Amino acid sequence: MNSQEILTLAEAIVGAWDWATEVSHPRPNQIDVKVTHLNELVPIVVGLRVKRLGYLCAIVGLDLGPEVNEMEVLYHFCPGDVVIGLRVRIPRQGGAVPSLSEVIPSAEVFERELHEMFGIEITGLRNTERLYLPERWPEGVYPLRKDFDPASLAAHEGGV
Amino acid sequence: MPENLAPKRFTIPIGPQHPALKEPGHFQFTVDGEVVTSAYVRLGYAHRGIEKAAEERTWIQNLYLIERICGICSHIHAMAYCLAVESLANVEAPPRAQAIRVLVAELERIHSHFLWIGVSAHEAGFETLFMYSWRDRETVMDLLEGLTGNRVNYSANLLGGVKFDLDQAQMDSIRKGVDFLEERTHHYLDVIMHDSTFLQRTRGIGVMTTAQAEVMGAVGPTARASNVKRDLRVEAPYSAYKTFPVQMALDTRGDLEARFEVRLNELFESFRLIRQILDNLPEGPLVARIPRRIPAGEAVVRLEAPRGEVYYFVKGNGSDKPERLKVRTPTICNLTSVIRLAVGHQLADVPMILAGIDPCFSCNDRMVQVRDAATDSQKMLTWEQLRQHGIDFYRSKAK
Repeated sequence: MNSQEILTLAEAIVGAWDWATEVSHPRPNQIDVKVTHLNELVPIVVGLRVKRLGYLCAIVGLDLGPEVNEMEVLYHFCPGDVVIGLRVRIPRQGGAVPSLSEVIPSAEVFERELHEMFGIEITGLRNTERLYLPERWPEGVYPLRKDFDPASLAAHEGGV
Repeated sequence: MPENLAPKRFTIPIGPQHPALKEPGHFQFTVDGEVVTSAYVRLGYAHRGIEKAAEERTWIQNLYLIERICGICSHIHAMAYCLAVESLANVEAPPRAQAIRVLVAELERIHSHFLWIGVSAHEAGFETLFMYSWRDRETVMDLLEGLTGNRVNYSANLLGGVKFDLDQAQMDSIRKGVDFLEERTHHYLDVIMHDSTFLQRTRGIGVMTTAQAEVMGAVGPTARASNVKRDLRVEAPYSAYKTFPVQMALDTRGDLEARFEVRLNELFESFRLIRQILDNLPEGPLVARIPRRIPAGEAVVRLEAPRGEVYYFVKGNGSDKPERLKVRTPTICNLTSVIRLAVGHQLADVPMILAGIDPCFSCNDRMVQVRDAATDSQKMLTWEQLRQHGIDFYRSKAK
């Protein structure tokens, strides 16, 4: 499959969920899909995976800050030179996204990182252990959130 | 540790520190006799919070921070960052700068692969091969030093281009060095393909099928040795690879031997490419002007590092600092695959299987804990002792 065929196929798959997605084309070889119904995320990923477009390159968390009070999670699937981005928005407090690890095993480590760095709950993730942060890192402190203050760690007993 | 991975007979933790990587690992293997029954990984022992630190620094300061993510493939990180920022600013580096970036990237690949041959040879107990390959690696380190002034962290990149030009004397020394390294690579290929004691440690070990490699998201030479056509220089040519195409080295066998051959075979492509770039170096400026404030937007950059795909996501908000920088290095993808591969193998094969993905595992001496859950007795081993166990195991088998 060449890039154009991959893009066409990806759009056809995502198009089946047209009531739950908004598609844009930020760059020629890239599509950005806003998934507005969180429950449809896993089915869409299954759709991509079945058509062999399921090479999950990375999961990126984005804290939009306390003013917006929302966070974004970006799932980048990269077959060939194409980037298919699935984008979901969740509330900053108590936000949760479904785990992809049952569909794509390599998602597990990305999701564990997302959870510990942003405090986003991953529904259905079996191993929720810390991956990068130290054992003594305080509970409820998420370093990649915009309002994280490194100085707050100084008060933590015994350091981290 | 999750309950389903709780020790049944012996648990053998390996790790944690190997500071040459962004991802140092702590592995815990449960064994039944000699056979690994489950494997578990814990990372983060050298997590330095670089993604967070990048949000506090200017676009230019970050270039120096990013280059320090990895001590071995420092150039590819800086290059990925530069390409992402240039993409946001809608600036393209001049052709000569792009060619020099790729030239340094290929020299870095040679240095990284030679380092890896040595590390793997050491894990297998082939000290002579280890010494020779690291001696030869000095040649490429000298070339990089002659070119950039640094043996590691070459600092070749600028936002919008590169820092230095090449003169005739440097080109001549690169040609000479590459000729020597090519001859040595032929020799190493001969050793790993025909030495029966070496093949005992690699042939049929750690087999990963094409389907497994795809599902587990393996990248780089680890994926290509399982016949997964994943090489961004070919799939999605970037920078000077558009004008200087490369061939992908593939193998269908998927075992350790295939991983050795793929890495060595792609070195020949690097030698060829370096000569081609030196012969056809485009004329022109080295740097394109780039604004201090980078426009708002998002950029995804994927480059082929020596170990596989490195992924950068950069989001700008129109200020002089990035809003978010995300790095995904190849080792994390390959670690998750290798950890599954280890199950069902002999404990003696673990050092080679881990070294097979090139995680730069031998930077430190590591503690290995052997625990008998039944009696709760504990036995401490070092990584060195586990390695020796592997060597002795195969030595006694050969008798």
